[in-house]
Amino acid sequence: MSYVFDWGVLWRYREALLSGLGLTLALSLLGLAGAMAVGLVAGAAQAGERRLPRLAAAGYVELARNVPLLVHMYFWYFGLTALRLPAFWCGVLGLSLYSGAYVAEIVRAGIQSVPAGQRAAALACGLSPAQAVRFVIYPQALRIVAPSLAGLFSQLVKDSSLASVISVGELTFVAGEIEGDTFRAFEAYIGVTVLYLMIITVISHVALRGFRGGIVDPAMRY
Amino acid sequence: MDFFVVARNLPYLADGFVLTLESAAVSILGGTIVGLLLGLARAGRVPVLRQAAMLYIELIRGTPLLVVLLVVYLAVPALTGERLGPVPSAVIGFIVFVAAYIAEDLRSGLASVPVGQIEAGLASGLSSPQVMRFVVLPQALRRMIPALFNQFVRLIKFTSVASVIGATELTGAVLEVNAREVKPLELLAFLALAYFVACYALSLLGRWLDRRFAIVS
Amino acid sequence: MKKGWKALVAVLIVAVPGLAGGTARADGTLDAIKARHKLIAGVKYDTPPFGFVDDKNQLVGFDVDLVREIAKALGVEVEFVKVTSPTRIPLLVSGNVDLSAASMTHTREREGAIDFSITYYTGAQALLVAENSPIKALGDLAGKTVAVQQGTTLEKNLAKLAPNATVQPFRDYTSAWLALRQGRADALTGSYDILRGFIRETPGFHVVGDKFSLEPFGIGFRHGDWQLRDFVNGVLQDLWASGRYRELYRTWFQVDPDVPIEMWPKG
Repeated sequence: MSYVFDWGVLWRYREALLSGLGLTLALSLLGLAGAMAVGLVAGAAQAGERRLPRLAAAGYVELARNVPLLVHMYFWYFGLTALRLPAFWCGVLGLSLYSGAYVAEIVRAGIQSVPAGQRAAALACGLSPAQAVRFVIYPQALRIVAPSLAGLFSQLVKDSSLASVISVGELTFVAGEIEGDTFRAFEAYIGVTVLYLMIITVISHVALRGFRGGIVDPAMRY
Repeated sequence: MDFFVVARNLPYLADGFVLTLESAAVSILGGTIVGLLLGLARAGRVPVLRQAAMLYIELIRGTPLLVVLLVVYLAVPALTGERLGPVPSAVIGFIVFVAAYIAEDLRSGLASVPVGQIEAGLASGLSSPQVMRFVVLPQALRRMIPALFNQFVRLIKFTSVASVIGATELTGAVLEVNAREVKPLELLAFLALAYFVACYALSLLGRWLDRRFAIVS
Repeated sequence: MKKGWKALVAVLIVAVPGLAGGTARADGTLDAIKARHKLIAGVKYDTPPFGFVDDKNQLVGFDVDLVREIAKALGVEVEFVKVTSPTRIPLLVSGNVDLSAASMTHTREREGAIDFSITYYTGAQALLVAENSPIKALGDLAGKTVAVQQGTTLEKNLAKLAPNATVQPFRDYTSAWLALRQGRADALTGSYDILRGFIRETPGFHVVGDKFSLEPFGIGFRHGDWQLRDFVNGVLQDLWASGRYRELYRTWFQVDPDVPIEMWPKG
């Protein structure tokens, strides 16, 4: 074998990797918060009966999710330079609006999957329409969509790697830096893959625990 | 702004776009088949298959697409002795990748079928595989249409990652043209438009199918 | 979840030695090239004037021409494989390409991963700014943001020579150039020849101050692949001696080479 691995390179770059990990986590968490905020509103609007919000939400969803995330990132960073937003916040904004469209679709599907009779029943019991949504429809819808949302978050963590194109020093960016300095591409990319896998394993673990009892595995029902 | 840069390089960019659409189409087909099989294995009752499917899904969902493509591109030649170009490697990688997500979507689809229906199916004398085949799966697949098309649209955009391993699909072509012409904003606008057209067309198809096969309750 | 880890470890154990071992038998690369009558070379497709796609959709450039000369000297055909930053080393090490001529700066750190030929091109680092910029030289960079391509010797040099500047690394040259044009950065540092290419089409920017710090480019080989490396070193020297090198250099850089190729006496 002509190539000798040097895993020590990861240790030499530990500070860069740690700061990359921190930025990846920060981007992902802030991106998730933004995406949930945007997505819950847009999803509810899409599932709602009022025409104008429905159309506006549909327009947003189509525009945001049918354009590659790379373009979102460039748009906020290089396109809207007048805003003078730092690269990191351009990344958060890009991720929020891009993933928000997916959250909206998931939420819409979840709301629509709650049988219409439930809403009628809630109204008949004297709940206001808002209360019906808050206490009857949302809790059920969220249970149905919980696995999709957990999946979306792990997707979002990986999507955050695209912030590297606007010079946000997250994990993928750090891998590129290590590769450039040392030509140790295997070590750098395998190293950050393990870090991504760790983050996502923790997320799905927490998500599973959080949603336990809410999700009934279909196979368990036989 | 000099949008003639797009016109000047249109043949090259169009070749890239065609390659994007072709590799997306093959990957969508392959990914759906593999993903549904995987999802059934995951939801099924054969412990070995169930565990294996679970491992696969967890592992792939935790791995960035770029890494999947790099592993296929570099490991397949090393393991088989056959050199594989960036495009076939990318397609294999896309299928491997998207299948894990489709399998997970199938799980949500299956979960959305009311328990009462399963009980009714069993009570009316169907075996559990029959309940799966005739009661649960048809409804789950219909409910999955939006999620499935989400994955398809996502896959079209994901094909851009193939440029990193050297495939000259749309993004790769745009980056190469940009390196010579240095007109990033114009070329990115074109890139956005091209992906939007492809993705929106697919979303519309998804919505139409969703309405067409909607379950009226 | 624990199983996920085991699976990952298993995949790495299977894949990684495969990657590094694989078809790569370093001692036989020169023989293998002759046996298959084809040289497989990794080159960039997005780095004018070294390796790029021209307006007739043909792969051209200084690196590309040098590889053609090497193949001619070997008496074999040539196949080009597009490499990118994440793939240039793995493709070489895994045996997918025989050599990599991808505008790579030769550093001692990078020698840990691959071997290099003698220097076939020497780049000079320079500073590009807007014509109305107050920046006239390296000394004016304190507190300014300077765009640069990530993971390059350029980035390290700048950090050393202008410690009070904010170095803003980008993944590729064109993004760094865009950052300067869109006012995201106050200056752009890079290879003089590449910067000159940028401003040819876009007025309003100029190179300021002296060129600083040299970047020696080398062709990359797998570790221990000495027969092929010696052969290529010989070809580079022959090209210099015959004047062909100067011809190619003038084609791609419009000037005469200022740093000669290192020459070894025939003995």
